[in-house]
Amino acid sequence: MLMNAFEWIRLIVGCLFILTGMVIFFTELFGVFHFEYVLNRMHAAAMGDTLGISACLIGLMIFSGLNFTTLKMFLIIVFLWFASPVSSHVLSRLEAATNDNLSAHCEIYEDLEVLERELAAAKEDKNTEMKEASAS
Amino acid sequence: MSRKKTAEEYQKTFAFRFFRWLSGEKDPYIGKVEMRPQKEYQPDQKAALRHEKEHDAIMDRVYDTEHNKWLYRFHRLYQATSILFCLFLIALLLVTISYLPPNGAVTRPVNNEVAVRYIEKGLEETGAVNIVAGMILDYRAFDTLGESHVLFAATITVLILLRLNKTEKDEAEVSDRRFEPKNDAILQLVATFLVPIIIIFGIYIILNGHLGPGGGFSGGAVIGAGLVLYLNAFGFKKTERFFTEKTYKWICFFSLSFYCLAKSYSFYTGANQLHSVIPKGTPGAILSSGLILPLNIAVGLVVACTIYAFYAMFRKGGF
Amino acid sequence: MEKEMIYHTLFILLLIVLSVMLLICLIRAVKGPRVADRLMAVNMMGTMVMVMISILALLLQEGYLVDICLIYAMISFLSVVVISKVYIGIYEEQHHNQEAAEGGNADERV
Repeated sequence: MLMNAFEWIRLIVGCLFILTGMVIFFTELFGVFHFEYVLNRMHAAAMGDTLGISACLIGLMIFSGLNFTTLKMFLIIVFLWFASPVSSHVLSRLEAATNDNLSAHCEIYEDLEVLERELAAAKEDKNTEMKEASAS
Repeated sequence: MSRKKTAEEYQKTFAFRFFRWLSGEKDPYIGKVEMRPQKEYQPDQKAALRHEKEHDAIMDRVYDTEHNKWLYRFHRLYQATSILFCLFLIALLLVTISYLPPNGAVTRPVNNEVAVRYIEKGLEETGAVNIVAGMILDYRAFDTLGESHVLFAATITVLILLRLNKTEKDEAEVSDRRFEPKNDAILQLVATFLVPIIIIFGIYIILNGHLGPGGGFSGGAVIGAGLVLYLNAFGFKKTERFFTEKTYKWICFFSLSFYCLAKSYSFYTGANQLHSVIPKGTPGAILSSGLILPLNIAVGLVVACTIYAFYAMFRKGGF
Repeated sequence: MEKEMIYHTLFILLLIVLSVMLLICLIRAVKGPRVADRLMAVNMMGTMVMVMISILALLLQEGYLVDICLIYAMISFLSVVVISKVYIGIYEEQHHNQEAAEGGNADERV
């Protein structure tokens, strides 16, 4: 009886994980068709590459129990967490290098110091706002 | 105690002449056979221009679908017919497949006495748990030897077609250096982690070839992929420290000749119901199944080197 | 017996859903206006195929299929890296040649 209950719990937990993975894959597909530009689409695609496949594989690992198959699936997850961000980075680099009309889609800072100054200014504004709010 | 020879004396020896002939420095036919220098090909500019013009005119007239109604109709008909033909072909193949006996049925023509023999006696005769490894590296080892040589011959052919001479090579390298993204810090950091893991996984596949699925070909491909990743992250300068044309030559030579010698033993020991002198070992252990493990290693080395060599030659025209 | 039936149905359903998603990915790969779009779509398809292979490994009770999955992950990562690098190189070279040709014309005009 106890064994049976354990089996059912395993099934339900695994199903939940796999369902999460499927929902993430669906979100990925939706995002890929919804966004307008490659650099935006990449956010959606990269999410499925890491989170979606790990959720699916964790569900399958719970199904398969403790054996070598589980270890190999864990290795796949580790490998993809290393590799997938890098492939996204390489893809965005390809897009940035080959698009002549990149400024139509996003802001480009030729000099990084300009960006840093703007960010620092924005931070100061926020700080002063917060101080004013606390003072009042 | 060795006697030192002078340069003049050495030039008279057989060894000197042999190595000179081997490295191709002296052609024995020079001075004996009449040879004319090849004339350089000079294209006729005017004729080429005229030819191009004529070609353009013909093409313009042939593909002028706006004024030629029949041509337009023909194009439409052609597209429709090609789609229909594809559908017909797909349907034909599907119908043919539906008549085949189901996978694994006794009535399949593959299930004859040869397969039965492999399955029943394979473990006993070759000592390999993986029947496929026992089949391709023991029963049909000469077949696999031929496959390895095909890989080697393919590399040589690509080398003949794509090889650049010294100055062209330098130019290609310069353009490579200038235009391609180099020193990508993120890729380099990840490559330092991943390349050893990939290569170790490839070695695992090769060494596990006689115990489970895998073997020389797939493991070699994985190791080659790891080398290609390393090359992409760090550039040719780093890989040239350990892998040059010479390395490739020696690795291929030793692997293939080892395979040849190791498999020829069946000519004088194993064949014709004679007993092989190489012990089989206990099935399931790493050091078992006779010669299958070393043969797997030889095949894996050849495949890994071939994949890396192909990539390097298509990118740079040399190693 | 009942439990096995549940797993079997679940896996088959998952495979069907994944293959439909794969087809939708293929639409993106065919449609994608830029090269990066297509590469991204192919990478996504690779991820889904990896999940499918893992499911098949459990469905057929053949653990070694996960090895293939690992190799698939490696090859898809490698293909993205190599193709993008080669494409950037070719693009930059063409760009450079074009600029050189235009610069030469400008000089002639002056």
